[in-house]
Amino acid sequence: MTRVSTMALALVLGAFAAHSAVADGEKIAVLTKNQTNPFFQAERVGAAKAAESMHASVLQYVPTQADSISEQLSQIDDVITKKADAIVIAPVDYKAIVPGIQKINAAKIPAVNVTDRSSGGDFVSFIGADDYTIAKKTAAALLKAIGGKGEVIVLEGVRGTATAQDRLRGFKEALAEFPDVRLVASQPANYQRLQAMQVMENLLQANPNVAGVLAANDTMAIGAMDALSEAGSKALITGINGSKEAIDAIKSGKMLASGDYNGFVQGCVGAMIALRYLRHEEVPKQVTQPTVVITKDNLAPYDVPLDGRQCPSWDQVPKS
Amino acid sequence: MIRVPGLNRLPPEATRVAMRLAALLVLGVLLSALSSAFLSTVNLMNVLRQAALLFFMSSGLTLVVLTAGLDLSIGATIALGACVAGTVIKNADSAWLGAATALGIGGAVGLLNGMMVSLLRIPAFIATYGMLWVLQGLAYTYMAGNTVYGFPSGFRQLGNGYLLHVPTPVIVMAALLAIGTVFAQRTVWGQQIVMIGANPVAARLSGVPVKRRLILVYVLSGLAAGFAALVYLARLNSAEADIGSSLTLPAIAAVLIGGASLFGGVGTLAGTFIGALILTLVLNGMNLLHVDGNWQPLVTGVIIVAAVWLDLQGQRTRS
Amino acid sequence: MTALPLPTRMRAPGLMVAMVVMLVGFAVASRDFAMPGNVLNIIMQSSVLLLVALPMTFVILTEGLDLSVGAVVSLCSVALAQVALATGSLVMTSAAGVLVGALAGVVNGGLIAYLRIPPFVATLGTLGAAQSLALVLTGGQSVTGLPSNVLFIYGGSILGVPVPILIIVAAYAIMHSLLYYTPFGSFVFALGGNREALTLAGVSWRRMLMAVYVLGGAWAGAAALVLASRLSAGHPTAAIGMEFDAIAAVALGGTSFERGDGWLLGTLLGVAAIGILRNGLNLMAVSSSVQVCCIGILVILAFTLEAFRAPEL
Repeated sequence: MTRVSTMALALVLGAFAAHSAVADGEKIAVLTKNQTNPFFQAERVGAAKAAESMHASVLQYVPTQADSISEQLSQIDDVITKKADAIVIAPVDYKAIVPGIQKINAAKIPAVNVTDRSSGGDFVSFIGADDYTIAKKTAAALLKAIGGKGEVIVLEGVRGTATAQDRLRGFKEALAEFPDVRLVASQPANYQRLQAMQVMENLLQANPNVAGVLAANDTMAIGAMDALSEAGSKALITGINGSKEAIDAIKSGKMLASGDYNGFVQGCVGAMIALRYLRHEEVPKQVTQPTVVITKDNLAPYDVPLDGRQCPSWDQVPKS
Repeated sequence: MIRVPGLNRLPPEATRVAMRLAALLVLGVLLSALSSAFLSTVNLMNVLRQAALLFFMSSGLTLVVLTAGLDLSIGATIALGACVAGTVIKNADSAWLGAATALGIGGAVGLLNGMMVSLLRIPAFIATYGMLWVLQGLAYTYMAGNTVYGFPSGFRQLGNGYLLHVPTPVIVMAALLAIGTVFAQRTVWGQQIVMIGANPVAARLSGVPVKRRLILVYVLSGLAAGFAALVYLARLNSAEADIGSSLTLPAIAAVLIGGASLFGGVGTLAGTFIGALILTLVLNGMNLLHVDGNWQPLVTGVIIVAAVWLDLQGQRTRS
Repeated sequence: MTALPLPTRMRAPGLMVAMVVMLVGFAVASRDFAMPGNVLNIIMQSSVLLLVALPMTFVILTEGLDLSVGAVVSLCSVALAQVALATGSLVMTSAAGVLVGALAGVVNGGLIAYLRIPPFVATLGTLGAAQSLALVLTGGQSVTGLPSNVLFIYGGSILGVPVPILIIVAAYAIMHSLLYYTPFGSFVFALGGNREALTLAGVSWRRMLMAVYVLGGAWAGAAALVLASRLSAGHPTAAIGMEFDAIAAVALGGTSFERGDGWLLGTLLGVAAIGILRNGLNLMAVSSSVQVCCIGILVILAFTLEAFRAPEL
């Protein structure tokens, strides 16, 4: 089975990763938040693909304890010691990361900020999308689809994380613009599928006539989707991430839409900008991904598995 | 101090189960008073089904705790088992092969844990903690951030189906509860397991093959985790590498609320069942009552401590 | 006042072997590993964990466990950050951290020593309470804008020595003296296997046990100060999971869960081992999922070697 041999190979190679086969080419350190969220996996794959196509390589750093701020700061120390040529970083906490960025600046290593905009430090560029705007647009799509009235439930992410807060804010602002819609419940399911399913089951008992469900990510949306269909509910549901499973669900009509928050392009562009900067080519100070709400009508370009996707060419990157 | 006339005449374990059932009833009455949605058949069936998954994980763990051990690796075992079994089901298009894989992984992990604890005499906390990290790393490597999803509907009956209007997992839970209780209380092996925790010296001196029994309980815990992985797959129709991290502490909490002691020798599957139910009811109640997310950890913590305290009060009254 | 006899045979041989293997292996695999700058990094990165693992040793010596530490450190970091923003005074900030931590310790001690709830359950409850409080106090956001006197705790140096190093040296000295050279220390050992001895000696074991947990809470507050300084923020979930690292470090260092038998220096070595492992693997750019495996393997291997010692009676 290819998966097993891949795993065995990865373990062996991983243990001897000190001397990679890349002879020339810059080494970009890519720091992401955790192993668990497919968004960051997409970001890592994107960065690796972009670097490979530009004859460089990436070193991936992910905290062993998901979303550990301390560990990410330690990894910055270690990356500086290792003298990476450039750093592409998605900070776990955009405020607490600042001392780490200052250390990177002091070590004269160029840094590119992706995903969550750090509140301090010098960066070559920032590539991101806006959790708040994506959530607001996705919610607006759902609220329009339910005809602007009815009961709505929100499934929140992990309390204490920036993404969860920003998305909740986006949902609430969208709700404020539809006065005939009532928010009957807003409960956390911690971005997890099982919790979302159980929370949705429970909430349906108190609110059986819910018309729409806003989930802060696709994993929760799909968990809730199963609970809804079992209860025979006709509620519409949206998620955020644009994951493959969500695309399939949108295709089959079980899910209404998903906010495009896919890290693949961010990873590609982040690595591309880091390398271009090292090679003294021109780079934009900021790249903002367009906020797209993926629905049945526009899902074709998203319906490709991660391995098969290609990084955009430099001309395709929107520069601001 | 709680005194109930006549209670002292029942055997000790029955008294404790009765106390815990009383606690459960109090919780239930409270929730029905506070929320009109609580007492419906659908809601109660949901709660039972949610509790079933928790019970499957905690059942094997109960036996481990009876020997004064602990298994911190169950969450990661479920994650790895579900991911690999899920992939097998999809690739080989065979639910039976997937089931064998999940149980095989669970059993193998249990065997390794058991050998570390009994043969290498590594403390259970440490051995299973180390195993947790190893399994989690394997799961991350294996899945590479992907999700495996979309299983045949026949297989999904295990999680979603109904038998005589009762969810399948609940029926299986009842069966497991019955079989497990008979094993623990009426078979020689079960009695030996309890003795290993209650009085290890006496167990050894009376000829109990301690090492073999220890390996057995960890294998059973691993198998239970493997089975839980299958139920998870069937219910959630998917698996990812990180599904286990939020499952371990609730499983241990269920066992402890159920009256088991980490020092061994005390505990029943019936107690664990009630512990799982209490924890599930708390979450159900918090959702129905729209308790703000920030306060949920506090509520859960308070209930856990209160439940154990009540149980201990009942115990101490008797002695 | 008696000094307890120091161990006569080598403790935690498995950990020693693992340390040697790691130190040699990493030094060979990565030329940056043995550089003084990197060694300094490892010590600094491990400072918060050490401040939490030292009192955890005491707790484990009493056959207890403190699962609430991560949540309490996070709560303390939030509380002290808010005090720092309000008063700008380092004294008030430190006091706030230590007091909140000590309060959590009182709750733990009360549940465990007086209500006699098993430590696993009691500290699990406190974990939930501390987590909720931290979230409610901050609404889930980090508290930033800390004044420079707080930032000095992690980033500053006195006479060329980084402040965190001074802090952990002082902490180790204090805890070592407490454990091995004061009556309290012998009470701690007695709490782990011989509570009757305390009662016979006319000492309230409940009060001593409470003191152990209050001590743990107070040190959690100190750890929170260093952490907040490092992050330049108080954060409601920053230290989640730290308790497991601390427990692992204590166990790696040779302290037993069961017999009131322990070694404080071993805890220091255990913390160092974990820090060295992570640092070395990062320098080798080992992928995170493999790192996760390696942590488990370190723990298991370090203990496997113990198995080949003569069985104890």
